[in-house]
Amino acid sequence: MKRLGLLATAAALALSVAPAFAADDVIIGVIYPLTGNSAPVGLDAKAAYDVTADIINGTHAPLPMLMGKGGGLDKLGGAKIKLVYADSQNDPQKARAEAERLVTQEHAVAVIGAYTSATAATISQVTDRYEIPFLNADSTSPSLSQRGLKWYFRTTPHDEMFSQAMFKFFADEGAKTGHKVTKIALFHEDSLFGTDSSNVQLKLAADAKIDVAADVKYRANSPSLSAEAQKLKAADPDVILPSSYTSDAILIMKAMKEIGYTPKAVMAQAAGFQESGFLVGVGPLSEGVFSRSSFALDAVKSRPAIEPVNALYKAKNNKDLNDNTSRQVTGLVVLADAINRAGSTKAEAIRTALIATNVPGNQTIMPWAGVKFDENGQNIEGTPVIQQVSGGTYHTVWPEDVATQPAVWNVGK
Amino acid sequence: MTFDQIMQVALSGLLMGLIYALVAAGLSLIFGLMDVVNFAHGELMMVAMYAAFTLWQVSGLDPMIMLPLVALLMFGIGMAVYRLLIARALAVRFNKGMVQIFVTFGLAIFIRGAAQMVFGGEFRAVTGTVLADRSWHLGGVFLPWPQLAAGVVCLLAFGGLYLVGRTEFGRALEATREDRDAVALIGIDRDRIFSLGWGLGAATLGVAGVMLAGFYYVSPNVGANFALIAYVTVALGGFGSLMGALVAGLLIGEVEAVTAQLLEPSLKQVGMFAIYLAVLMFRPRGLFGKI
Amino acid sequence: MQNAITLRRRRELITAAILLVLLIVLPLPFHDPYTRNLMILTLLYAALAQSWNILGGTCGQISLGHSLYFGVGAYVSTLLFVWHGVPPWLGMWAAALVAGLLALLVGWPCFRLSGHYYAIATVVVQEIAYLLFLNWDYIGGASGVYVPFHGQSWMNLQFRTAKLPYFYVMLGFFALTWIAAWLIEGSRWGFSWRAVKDDVIAARSLGVRVFPSKMAAAAISGGLTGIGGAIFAQFVGYIDPDSILSGPLSILIALPAVLGGVGTLWGPLLGAAVLIPLRELSSTFLGSSGSGVDLMLYGALIMVVALLRPQGLVSLFQRGGNGSTS
Repeated sequence: MKRLGLLATAAALALSVAPAFAADDVIIGVIYPLTGNSAPVGLDAKAAYDVTADIINGTHAPLPMLMGKGGGLDKLGGAKIKLVYADSQNDPQKARAEAERLVTQEHAVAVIGAYTSATAATISQVTDRYEIPFLNADSTSPSLSQRGLKWYFRTTPHDEMFSQAMFKFFADEGAKTGHKVTKIALFHEDSLFGTDSSNVQLKLAADAKIDVAADVKYRANSPSLSAEAQKLKAADPDVILPSSYTSDAILIMKAMKEIGYTPKAVMAQAAGFQESGFLVGVGPLSEGVFSRSSFALDAVKSRPAIEPVNALYKAKNNKDLNDNTSRQVTGLVVLADAINRAGSTKAEAIRTALIATNVPGNQTIMPWAGVKFDENGQNIEGTPVIQQVSGGTYHTVWPEDVATQPAVWNVGK
Repeated sequence: MTFDQIMQVALSGLLMGLIYALVAAGLSLIFGLMDVVNFAHGELMMVAMYAAFTLWQVSGLDPMIMLPLVALLMFGIGMAVYRLLIARALAVRFNKGMVQIFVTFGLAIFIRGAAQMVFGGEFRAVTGTVLADRSWHLGGVFLPWPQLAAGVVCLLAFGGLYLVGRTEFGRALEATREDRDAVALIGIDRDRIFSLGWGLGAATLGVAGVMLAGFYYVSPNVGANFALIAYVTVALGGFGSLMGALVAGLLIGEVEAVTAQLLEPSLKQVGMFAIYLAVLMFRPRGLFGKI
Repeated sequence: MQNAITLRRRRELITAAILLVLLIVLPLPFHDPYTRNLMILTLLYAALAQSWNILGGTCGQISLGHSLYFGVGAYVSTLLFVWHGVPPWLGMWAAALVAGLLALLVGWPCFRLSGHYYAIATVVVQEIAYLLFLNWDYIGGASGVYVPFHGQSWMNLQFRTAKLPYFYVMLGFFALTWIAAWLIEGSRWGFSWRAVKDDVIAARSLGVRVFPSKMAAAAISGGLTGIGGAIFAQFVGYIDPDSILSGPLSILIALPAVLGGVGTLWGPLLGAAVLIPLRELSSTFLGSSGSGVDLMLYGALIMVVALLRPQGLVSLFQRGGNGSTS
C-alpha cells in the first residue's frame, strides 16, 4: 500500500515537470468551394489538406521533405495542426463571411485557400483587417499580390509567371528543332481566370513578335463550342493556348475533332486540362496536349518526397496528386513550418516567420527552385514546368533538368 | 469567309437548334400546354443524363440503346413529381403561379444537392461509343454524328408529340388546361390527365438527356447550362404551340451561331436573347402562341 | 370603410415603430461577426424583397431579373467611389437614379407582355446585361471592381472589422423600403393596382390608367434595389458580374417576398427572416462536408413552406388566414 502511494507520488511529480506547453491544437481555417461547379476541386483540396495534416501531425517514418518527420509542431510542444473547413460556394461575399467566422469564432491562427481568385480577393481583405496571415496556395490572378496587403502570402506562381514559362518553352523548342512558333491562337473563357491569362499571353506574344491569329473569348459552360472551334480552325495557328476549366476543356477538344480539325499543338493554362475528369472524358484526344504545370509528378528522382506523399493521397482519394492538390500540400507545409519557426501562435510572429521563409526546392514535392516571398508576399522561386500528355498521362518535358522525356513537337510539320 | 466555312456555321447552328428544341420539347408540353411552371426542368434533364451515364457504365451498352429504359424511368419520375408536388401546388387557393415557381425552384436545388451527394461533383463523360467524336463529312462541312442523331431524334420526338396531341389524350390535355371545371363535367379527371402529361414531358426530357449524354459531359450543374435557353425557346415559340418550340429552337440555334461569328463568341447568347425581345415586341404571344 | 382602413394603417405604423426599436437593439447582445453578418444579410434581402414586392406583389408584375438593378446600382456607386472618390452616401442616389431609369426603359416595352412572357423577358434582359458587363473591359469586365480600403470612415461607409455600422445602415435601408411600400399601398396607385389585379377590364372601364402607375412602380422598385446594390458593394469590398448580376440572385431577391407573402407589407421581412438564416446556416454547418446535404435541406424547406403556406408566412399571424391586403 505504501509502495503504491510512493509510485503515485512519483508519477504525479513526473507529470508535473512535463513541458508547460499543453499541446493545444493549432487551428488553421481552410476555405474552398465545396458545393457548386467547382466542388470537385474543393473536395480534392480537402483530401490533400487532410493528408498533409496527417503527415505533419502523425507518428510515422520521416518523409524527405519539410515538416515530413511528423509528430506535430515540435517548437510548440508537439502541438497538432487542426484544419477547420468552410465552403466559399465560389461566392466572394460568402468567402468573406466564412473567413471572418473562421478567424473570430473558430480562432484560426491562419487561413489557407482559395482556388478561385475572386474569393481569394475578399478573403485576403478580411485577413488583412483582422491581421491574420492568409496563405493563398493556388489562386493565380497576378493582381492578387499587387494590392499592397501586409498579411497576404502566395506560394503558387501566378499567371504571368506561368505564361512566361510557356513562351520560353516555345523559344527553346523552336531553337532546338528549327520549327519556330510564328502564329498562335488564344482560347479563353470570359471569367477572371480567362481574362487575366489571355491578357498576359497577348503581351508576351507581342514581345516575342509572334502573330496572334485569333483571340477567341468564349462563354463558360456553353451548350456547344462548335462556333469557337470553327474560329480556331480558320485561324490555323501553330499553337492554341486555351485557358479553360474542365467542362469547357472537354467540350473544345471534342468540338475540334467533330469539325475535322487536329491542331498542331495545344498549350493549356493547366486548370481544367490538368484534371482527371478531362483526361478520362476526352480519352485519346488528349494525346500530345501540352500544359504548363506547377507540379511534376514524374520528378521522383529530384524530389524523393513525391512517391510517399502521392501514395498517401492516392490511398485517400483514388487519384494521383495534380497541379492543384500538390500546391495545396505545399501551401499547408509552408504555413505549418512558419508557425513552427515562429514558436508561437501569435499572428505577428507567424507573419515574421513567413517573411523569413527560405525553403530549398528539394525539401518540397514541387519542381520549384524554392519558396521565398518578396515584399508583396509572392513566392518568386516558384518555377513552373511544361508537361505533355502521352499514354493518357502528363509527363514533364521542360525544363531539361526535370524533364523525363522529350517533347513531341508537331509545329512546322 | 469561304463558302465551306459559311455552310459550316449555318448547318452547325441548325443542328444546335434542333438540340435546343429537343431539350425544350418536354418543357413545351408541361409549361406550354399545361401552363404549369417548372423551374426544375434543367435538373430533371440532369437526372436523365446521369441515368444514361450510369446505365452505360454498368452495362457497357451505348446509351441510345437504353433510351426506352431511361424514358420509362423519367416517365415514372415525372408522374411522381406531379402527384407529390405539383398537384398540391395547383390545389392551393392563393398565389398559384408563385407557389409553382418556388416549389419547382426548391425541387431543383434539392435534386442538385442529391446528385452531388450520390454521384459526387466530378465531371463524367460517356466515351468510346460507336458515334462518339465521329463526324459526317459532307463536302467541306463536318457534322458530328452524336448531334445528328440527336437532331433526328428531335424531329421524331416532335412528330410523336404532335400525334399524341391529335389523340383523345392530347385533346383532353389541352382542354383541361383551359377549363378544368368544364372538363370535370364530361368525366375527365384533371389530376390523371396532368400526371400523364407530366410523365410524358419528363419522358421527353429523358430522351433529350440520353442523346445529350452522347456528346456532352455530365455533372450536377449541367442542367443549368440548358435551362434558360429552353425557357426562352418555349416562350419565343409561344405557349401552347408545340411546333412553335421547334421553330423557335431552330431560330435560336442559328442566331447564336451567326452572332458568334459576327460578334465575339462570348456574346453569342446576347444574340438569341435579343431576338426573343425583338420578336416579342411585335408578337407579344411569341411566334405561334395560342395563350 | 374609411375608418377601418385608417385604423389598420395606423396599426401598421405602430407595429413598424415597435419593430424598429426591437431591431435597433437586436444586434447588441451578439458580439460575434458571424451573427451580425447574418442579420445584415437578412435585412438586406428583406429590403430587396420589399422593393421587389412593390412591382411584383402590389403591382402584379413578376420580375425574375431584378438583380439587374442591384448590379447596375452597385457598379454605378462603386465606380463613382473608386474612380472619383464620390462618397457612397451620394453614390447610392446616383445608383437609384440609373437603376430607376433602367427600370423605366425595361418596363416600357415589356409591360404589355402578359404573365410568363413578361417574366422571361425580365430574365433575358438581366442576362443580356450580365453578358455585356462581363465583356466590358472598361469597367473591369470579368475581373470585377475591387474597392480599396481607405481606412475607417462613416463617409466612405468603410469599417475595419465593425459590423454594427453596416447593420444600422441596412436597417435604415429596410426602413426606407418599408415606408415606400406603406405609402404606395395607401395611395391612389395602390388602389388602382388592386383594382387591376382583381379585374383588368372592369378597372379600365372605371378609367383606371394602369400603364403610367406601373412605370412609376417599376422606377421605385428598381431604384430602391439599386441603393441596396450600392450599400452591398461597400460591405463586401469587391463586385463582379457573377456575384451581383446573376440569375440565382434575382430569384433570391424575390423569394423572401413569396415565402413571406406576396403583396403584403410584412411578408418580405418575415420571409427573409426565415429564408436567409436557413440558407446561411445550412451552408456553414452542413456545406463544409461538400456532400450536397445542405442544398437538399434548403431545397426541401423551400418546397415545404411554399406548399404549406401558399399565401405566405404572414398568414400565420393574421386572423382568418387572409394573406392579401386587398
